[in-house]
Amino acid sequence: MPRIRFDSITKSFGATEVLKGIDAEVDENEFLVLLGPSGCGKSTLLRIIAGLAAPTSGSVRFDGESIEHLEPHERGVAFVFQSYALYPHMTVRGNIAFPLIMELFKWYHHTPIVNGFVKRVLARRPEVADKVAAVAETLELTDYLDRRPKALSGGQRQRVAVARALVREPAVYLLDEPLSNLDAKLRTQMRTEIASLYQTVEKTFIYVTHDQIEAMTMGTRIIVMNDGEIQQSGTPQEIYDYPANTFVARFIGSPPMNLIPATIAGSTLRLRSGIVIDAPTRPADRPEVLLGLRPENISLGGDGHGGAGAGGGGAGDGPRGPAEGENRAQAGAFVRVVEHLGAETLVGFSFGSADDDTIGAGIARRLYYMKIPGTSSLAPGAEIGLSLNMARARWFDPDDGLRIPAADA
Amino acid sequence: MRRRAGLPGAATARPQGGGSAPSLAARLKKIPRPVATAVLVCIAGFPVYWMVTTAATPTGDLFNDSPNMWPTWHRFDDIVAVVLNDDVPIARWLRNSAFIAVGTTVLSLALAVTVAYALSRYRFYGKGPVGFSLFVTQMMPEALLAVPLYSMFIGWGLINELHGLVLANAAFAMPVAVWILKGAIDAVPMEIEEAARVDGCPRYAVLWHVTLPLVVPSLAAASVITFLEGWNEFLFARIFIFDAEKWPASRGVSSFIGEFITPLDAVFSAALIFTLPAIVFFLLVQRRIISGLTAGSVKG
Repeated sequence: MPRIRFDSITKSFGATEVLKGIDAEVDENEFLVLLGPSGCGKSTLLRIIAGLAAPTSGSVRFDGESIEHLEPHERGVAFVFQSYALYPHMTVRGNIAFPLIMELFKWYHHTPIVNGFVKRVLARRPEVADKVAAVAETLELTDYLDRRPKALSGGQRQRVAVARALVREPAVYLLDEPLSNLDAKLRTQMRTEIASLYQTVEKTFIYVTHDQIEAMTMGTRIIVMNDGEIQQSGTPQEIYDYPANTFVARFIGSPPMNLIPATIAGSTLRLRSGIVIDAPTRPADRPEVLLGLRPENISLGGDGHGGAGAGGGGAGDGPRGPAEGENRAQAGAFVRVVEHLGAETLVGFSFGSADDDTIGAGIARRLYYMKIPGTSSLAPGAEIGLSLNMARARWFDPDDGLRIPAADA
Repeated sequence: MRRRAGLPGAATARPQGGGSAPSLAARLKKIPRPVATAVLVCIAGFPVYWMVTTAATPTGDLFNDSPNMWPTWHRFDDIVAVVLNDDVPIARWLRNSAFIAVGTTVLSLALAVTVAYALSRYRFYGKGPVGFSLFVTQMMPEALLAVPLYSMFIGWGLINELHGLVLANAAFAMPVAVWILKGAIDAVPMEIEEAARVDGCPRYAVLWHVTLPLVVPSLAAASVITFLEGWNEFLFARIFIFDAEKWPASRGVSSFIGEFITPLDAVFSAALIFTLPAIVFFLLVQRRIISGLTAGSVKG
């Protein structure tokens, strides 16, 4: 199994630079997720690994050797396409057997008309037929082997696409948003299936997605990309807990991390709305910062007046609350939006006065979210007291968006 | 009266239009389409009907005061006699026509598939002009090219040869086939070809392993057009072919028309026989001209 290295890969389509120098390494048997918004270049990177696109500059190396001269099928990779890309004129059996048959083809078998006969003969060979049957069994496709793709449901087509990749026993599986065409329930199911497939085959998986839940649940490592550049690389937990910059902070997590502009004054923080809260840990030597707090690190509690002091848990700690110790600050806010999700409730609030920006884009810009367990009777317009878990606060530079380490007071 | 769905109590109402008998207006609306179809069928079918009737009527009866409007079926022996007549080698002419038609179809489709694939899938210098010049060939009348073709064919030894006619017809039929096939190949998702390449199919073989099977309907449509182009060959045959042995059927039938006598029933009998292979070819191919073959390959 190869160790894959990207050496300052760039890719341009005309004047558009899609990849701007990607340097990264993929370890053996890693489940690497390339995560980013649409158009960030993640699919292009995957196609470059597969050999379906050539980099404008830079190179991909498998175990230190350049693979640019290799055709896609010589690279030992399998590709699962977002659109599945099944062969519509072949049965499921034909689709799954195709890679195996192609391996057995001699160059002269490709002659038109001859290829049809050869294909039929090779498909009956035990080494092909048995393997197809075994893979179909694994993916529960045995009953559908003689159907055409158009007679299958979305989930079944997806499984055929995976089966076609699996049957070749490649060293690297490349998956390009394989679940994005499935409905939500099926997606959850296929997510589990792909994750268990990864456990079974013990090969390298490179998985492209824009869905951060897929990335968090499946990946052993995530590379977050934006605008053709790597924003951060790390385990799902590292990326969630210590986002490298505001883009990652906002992209990972739903709702995203709250980024609250603030000014540091001594050991306190002054928010735009004039509220002052305690900040026992904070970046040194910087007046202007962005305070980053995940919605689950904000809870209801406190007296609704800023600066009431740190320490002591508020009412209703978030589920992740005490991990880094209790270190809470209080602030007052106004409820703007309440979203009941059943097991938990999302409360959108703002620090400004109740009548500020109640409509339009303005409200979305100044809206922060918190996540509270269970249901809540809060209504928009209500004045609430917040308890902020400052021990989990992250700090960002408002100019370049990079995370700033905090120092104890 | 129509009931509006969604009103209280209307939950069990049948869907609109599915309930009570259709109104007079609704019934009247259904009339124009079959009428228009019938008119079109009559217009298109009349020459065929006239051909059959004339073929089945003795020449003398054709000029009666009360013309025979229905084919007299016992005359079909005479039609067969036309084919078997030793003086008129219509079987040979049909064979020549078939050679030209099949040759034109095979040659122009073989070229058109590769050209259409290149135009659809590759970016290359001069792609626009190539596509445009294929169009330009269709704007030129055949008669205009008769003289230059004649002088070229003399140089190449293709005058009085059926191969020359295949070449000339393929030149006219191929661009049409290219545009039909290009449209079809454009509609084949790129991912399917990429999947084939990842699965180990060499690039040159992707075309017939994956792409061609998916454009069979368009291939069939293009083959009908190119076949008929060759089958209906007349102008170039008239100019380039001198031996009656090498005439295609169209040229042969036209030779029945004499300065003083035209045996109309014989002309139409030959024409009828000439028409049948084309119809048979179309019937063989038409069931392939179905769309939706790519359904199910991508997305849900």
